[in-house]
Amino acid sequence: MEVLAAGAVEEGVVAVGVDRFGLGWRPPLALGILSNLDRIDVVEVIADDFFNASRNERRALQTLAAQVPVTLHGVSLGLASSVAVDPRRLDRTARLCEEIRPLSWSEHLAFVRGGGIEIGHLAAPPRCEETIEGALKNLSLARTIVGIAPQVENIATLIDPPLSRYDEAAWVSEIIRNSQSDLLLDLHNLHANATNFGFDPMDLISRIPPGRVRGIHLAGGKWVGKGDDRRVLDDHLHGVPDPVYALLEKVGARTEPRLTVILERDGDFPSIECLLDQLDRAREALARGRARALRREVAA
Amino acid sequence: MSASIVEAFLARIYVDAQARARFLSNPTVEARAAGLSPDEVEAVKQIDQVGLELLALSLERKRQKQCAKGRGRKYFWRKAK
Repeated sequence: MEVLAAGAVEEGVVAVGVDRFGLGWRPPLALGILSNLDRIDVVEVIADDFFNASRNERRALQTLAAQVPVTLHGVSLGLASSVAVDPRRLDRTARLCEEIRPLSWSEHLAFVRGGGIEIGHLAAPPRCEETIEGALKNLSLARTIVGIAPQVENIATLIDPPLSRYDEAAWVSEIIRNSQSDLLLDLHNLHANATNFGFDPMDLISRIPPGRVRGIHLAGGKWVGKGDDRRVLDDHLHGVPDPVYALLEKVGARTEPRLTVILERDGDFPSIECLLDQLDRAREALARGRARALRREVAA
Repeated sequence: MSASIVEAFLARIYVDAQARARFLSNPTVEARAAGLSPDEVEAVKQIDQVGLELLALSLERKRQKQCAKGRGRKYFWRKAK
């Protein structure tokens, strides 16, 4: 099924003609993942977990990467900020990429610190010219230091970011169009934001050139708050909801079959079988979208 | 926009309950004191308060969870050395 062997983190190398489906690597899922590699094409490793890892832990990661294609996913660079990303953090990412040679690496379009304060999670910056410019500079530096541009992920937010002059679709697409970074499209983040702030999620999807969507994240969440003030929280503790599969089908109808689709689960772990069933549903949704696009093409 | 000042201001009201309470009770004074321009002060006075409270609660729970775990993603937010 794999077109390219694992370990192809080189500029210009693309996996043509194959979608990959996999899970986020979490220690409680390790046994289940390793026991089901016939149903898992790829695993996504959180880069930050290994920045200060021991030699043995890093060797274990290399062993994992030798068994299954790996993508690397960062959470703490804070690329979408007017403040320059710390090159030492990028050095660590570069070192990890050299060691495990992932298929790709990715980070979030978020800011995570400001004025010396660590927020402790991903936060949506004001969507304005300054943060677009800051993100573009940071992405350029990331590409220079790591050697390949990161894919960038849209984030979920509970707050409508203050001082924004762009809507999310315009802000994200502006960054994608003006950088060499492709989009890691998190469909639950998009679903949550669209639900919370009342916009059509297809608006963002349709503004991104189809060839620039290279990865998909799937996850679940829950409602928080009360009454009219309820919002969807992207907590990665619940199953993937139906609207997210529906969005995946729509993405399938627009994109070439070279997506890496990762199911993220961070806790309240169900059985591995339950997670694999969700991956199967994702495969089916993407296939339905692809078939629809094919029928449309034939009819035209 | 002095974006770095705005980001610092937002980071503070997202994670610091006292700073957030001061801001919500007197947004103009607090935003001015943080160095925001007059236009920015007017803009943050319209902040999405529901979202701010929900975000702050979510961040607080994440911090509590990370402290309780004491491991896992232990390196996430450590400053680069």
